[in-house]
Amino acid sequence: MKRHLLIPLVGLVVLVVSVIFYFNQATNKNNSRDEISNLIFETRDFYNNELINENTLGEFYIVNFFASWCKPCLVEHPLLMEMKKKGITIIGINFRDDEDNFKEWIKEHGNPFEYILRDDGTIAYEMGLIGVPETFFIVNKMTQKKIQGPLFYEDIEKYL
Amino acid sequence: MISYLGNSFIYISLVLTILFYINLLKKVIPSTTSSLKLIYFINLIPFGLLIYAFSISDFTLLNVVENSYVDDPFFYKVTSAWGSHEGSILLWVFLINLFGVFFLYKNQTVEIHKNILFISTLFILYVIVSSNPFIYVEANENVLGLGLNPILQHFLFVIHPPTLFLGYIGLIVPFVISAHMLVSKNFSEKLFKEMLIWSKISWFFLTGGIVLGSYWAYSELGWGGWWFWDPVENISLIPWLLNTALIHSLQVSIKSNQLKLWSLNLGLYCFIASVFGTFLVRSNLIVSVHSFATDPLRGLFLIIIIAYLLAMTVRLNIKSISNFNEDSFDLISRESFLLLNNIFFICSALVVFVGTVYPLFSEMILKTSVSVGAPYYNFAFNLLLAPLILFMAFAPQISWGKHEKKDKQIPFIIIFSLLFCLVSYYFFNNFYFALSVFITFPLFLKSILVLKNNFNKNISFYSQWLAHLSIGFFIITAVYTEQFDYEENLLFEKESTNEIKLQNNKTAIIKNIKEEKFQNYQKISVDLLISDGQKGKELSPSKNIYQPSGQVTNEVSTTNNLFGQYYTTISTIESNKVGINLVYKPFINLLWLSAIMLIFSIFLSVIKKR
Amino acid sequence: MKISKSIYKLIIPLLIIHISVISFAGVNELSDYYKTIRCLVCEGQSIQESDTEFAINLKEQIQKKYSSGISIEKINQELIKIYGEEISFNPPKNHILLWGAPLILLIIIFIFIRNKIRFFNKI
Repeated sequence: MKRHLLIPLVGLVVLVVSVIFYFNQATNKNNSRDEISNLIFETRDFYNNELINENTLGEFYIVNFFASWCKPCLVEHPLLMEMKKKGITIIGINFRDDEDNFKEWIKEHGNPFEYILRDDGTIAYEMGLIGVPETFFIVNKMTQKKIQGPLFYEDIEKYL
Repeated sequence: MISYLGNSFIYISLVLTILFYINLLKKVIPSTTSSLKLIYFINLIPFGLLIYAFSISDFTLLNVVENSYVDDPFFYKVTSAWGSHEGSILLWVFLINLFGVFFLYKNQTVEIHKNILFISTLFILYVIVSSNPFIYVEANENVLGLGLNPILQHFLFVIHPPTLFLGYIGLIVPFVISAHMLVSKNFSEKLFKEMLIWSKISWFFLTGGIVLGSYWAYSELGWGGWWFWDPVENISLIPWLLNTALIHSLQVSIKSNQLKLWSLNLGLYCFIASVFGTFLVRSNLIVSVHSFATDPLRGLFLIIIIAYLLAMTVRLNIKSISNFNEDSFDLISRESFLLLNNIFFICSALVVFVGTVYPLFSEMILKTSVSVGAPYYNFAFNLLLAPLILFMAFAPQISWGKHEKKDKQIPFIIIFSLLFCLVSYYFFNNFYFALSVFITFPLFLKSILVLKNNFNKNISFYSQWLAHLSIGFFIITAVYTEQFDYEENLLFEKESTNEIKLQNNKTAIIKNIKEEKFQNYQKISVDLLISDGQKGKELSPSKNIYQPSGQVTNEVSTTNNLFGQYYTTISTIESNKVGINLVYKPFINLLWLSAIMLIFSIFLSVIKKR
Repeated sequence: MKISKSIYKLIIPLLIIHISVISFAGVNELSDYYKTIRCLVCEGQSIQESDTEFAINLKEQIQKKYSSGISIEKINQELIKIYGEEISFNPPKNHILLWGAPLILLIIIFIFIRNKIRFFNKI
C-alpha cells in the first residue's frame, strides 16, 4: 500500500462528506408539513351542516382527532371538556367511525367540540395523522405543537 | 434457593478466573487443561440452573415471573429461559464456555484458552452489572407469571436463537486463534487449518440460524415474506458475510501461503461483528420486530467490550505487521479470484452495516429521520452479488499460482446464458428474473460440464460445488418467488358471499368457522377450501388469543401444490364478515430446499476434515 | 495482458448499464409500492403487511389517489412531504452517502488491495 495515496484519499472523503452535509441540511430543513389542511374548512359540520366560520374561529384553536372505538380517547376526554369550559375552541375530527357508534359516544361522554367533522381518513392523511387520539395546537393556521396519543394535564397547562 | 445458587456460581467462576490469571502470571502451579476444564464446567452451571428454574416455574426469580406463565406448555416454559435479555446473555456465557470445552479437546494451548476465558469473564461481568437473571423476589401464591411473548411461542423459536448464537459465538474460536497467532508470531499451517474448521462450524450454525429465523418469520409473523431487511436480520447477516469471506481467504492462506494478515484480521472482525450485532439489538438503538426492554447501561457495557476488542485488534496489527510479506499474485489466478470474492463479501457486509446504522447517523447529524429498507438493500445486493455469482461459475476452475490453460468454454457459456436470459425475458417479461437467469446459468452449465469430466474427486470438491450450486438455486428461486407471487384480499360476507373466484381461475370457498380452547390460548379458525372444480385444497388459518396478556396472533395456514404454496392468514373477523389474506408463493419450497442443501454442503466439508 | 485490458473495457460499460438499470427500475404495482411504505405505528413493518388503522387508511388514500390517475412517484413525493422521509423504506436519492456506499466502499477496498495483484501494480 502506497501510504502517500491514503492521506489525500481520506481528505477527499472528508471533503465530499462535508459537502453532502451542507447540501442535505439546505434541502431538508423541515420534515413534515406545518400548514394545516384546507379540507378542514371545506368539510361540513356534522350537526348543523355548515362550514367552519373562519372569522369567528380566532387565531388559536385545537384540532383533535378521535373515534368511538378508541380507548385512549376516553383518557383525554375530561381534559377536552375542561378546555371547552375555559373557552378554547376545539375542532373534533371523527376518524373512520361508524355513525351510530359515534353519536352514542358523544351522547354518553359529552361533547367538548365546537365543530365536529366526520372523516373517512382523507383529512387525517393530509394532516399526517399517525393514530387516534392526536391533537394539533394551531396558531395562524400553522401547527405549533402536535401531540400523538392521549393528552395529559402537563400538555395543556399553559393554555388554560 | 436457585437465586442464591445461581448468584454464587457466577461469583465463584469470577473468582476462579481471576485466580487462574494470577496463576498464569506468577506460575505458582503449572496451569493445566484440567483447571481450564473445571472453570469451563463451572461457567456452564448458571445457565443450567436458569433452565431448571424455568422448567419448574420457580417464581422466586424475577426473570421467571416476567417471562413465563404457569400454564404455558412445558416446552415453552423451558425455552422462555432465553426469551428474555438476561437469559440470552447468560446463554452467551454458556455457549462461550461450551465452545471452550469442545475446543479444549482439539487444542490444549493455554495461551489461546486464556483469551476465551477472558471474553467469557467480560460477559459474566456484564451479567453481574446489568443483566442478572437470578434476582430474587418474594414468592407469592398469586403470582402466575407474565408469560412469554406469544409470537415467540413457536417450535422454531425454540431452536432459532440458540442456533444463531452458536454461530455467533463459534466465531470466538477463529478470533482467539488469530489473536494468538498475532501475539506469538507463530503462523503455522496447522493453526490456519484449525481456524478454517472452526469458522466452517460457525458458518454451519450461522446459516442454520438465519434460515430458521427466516422460516420462523415466514410461518409465524404472517406477513407473507421470508426476509424483511429488518435491522435484527441484517445484523445476523454481517457476521455471516464476513465469515464467508474468511472461509474463502483462509484457502489462500493455507494453499498458497498468502493473504495471511488479511485472514487473521477477518477472523478478528468476524467475532467483533457478532458482538456488535448483539450490542445493537440489546441497546435498542434500532427499532425492529425483535424489541427488547431498554437500559442504557446494557448498551454502554457492550460498547466497552467492543471498544476493547477493536483496540486489541489495532494493537495486534501494529505489533505484527513487520512479520508479513506483501502479498502478490497474478491477475488470473485462484488467489486473485478468491481475493475478489473477499472484496465483494466484505463490501456487502459493510453495506449492510451502513444501511443499518445510517438512520442513526442521519438522525444525529442530518437531523432527519429516514428508514432504510428493502429497496436500498435490493439495489446494493444486486450491484454487489450479481458479479460475484457470475464469477462463481468460473473461478473454482482456475489454478493456483499461475493460470496457464485457457478455458475455451467461457465465451460459449456466456453466450448461452445470454440467450437463456433473452428467452426468459421474452416469456416472463420480468427484468429481475431475466437478470438472475443470466447470472446463475453459467454456474449451472459449468457444473454440469465439470461434474461430467471430473467424476472421482474428493468430498471437499463436491461440498464446494454443492455450496455454490445451492447459492445459485437459492438466488434464482428467491427472485422467482418474489417477482411472481401475488396477493389477494378475499372478503367473505356471511350468507351473501362464501365463494370467491381467484386470479388463477380457482375458487375459494369458506366451509365453517370454529372456536376452540387450549391450555393457554383460545383459537378461532376458518376452514377454507381452494378448488378447481374437482379437487380441492384445505386451509385453516386462525387467530389465537393468548392468556394472560390477551395478545392476538395470526396463525398462518399453508398448502402446497406442484408449483407453489398458498399462504393464508385471517385479516379481519367480525360477526358478519371474514377477511382472508391469500398469497400465492411459487416455488417457495425450492427456496427452503436450496437453503438446506447449502447447510448440508458445509456439513459435508466439516465431517471430511474430522 | 491485452485480453485482460479488453475485458476491462467490456466490464465497465456493463457495470454502468447494470447500475443504471437496477437503480431506475421503478415500482409499477400498487402492492409493491405498499411494501416500501413504513407503518409508523408498528415496529419495522410495511403498510402492506400491517392491519392497523393507520396502515389501512393509508392504503385506502393511496388507492384513491392512484385510481384518480396520479402517478406513484407523485404520491410518494406527497407522502414524504406530509409524513417526512421516515415513512419510506426507500430513502430519497439525495442521501448520497447511503446510495453511493456500495460503490464508494468497493473503490476504497479496491484501492486498498491494489498492489496485491501484480497486474494492477503496473497501472
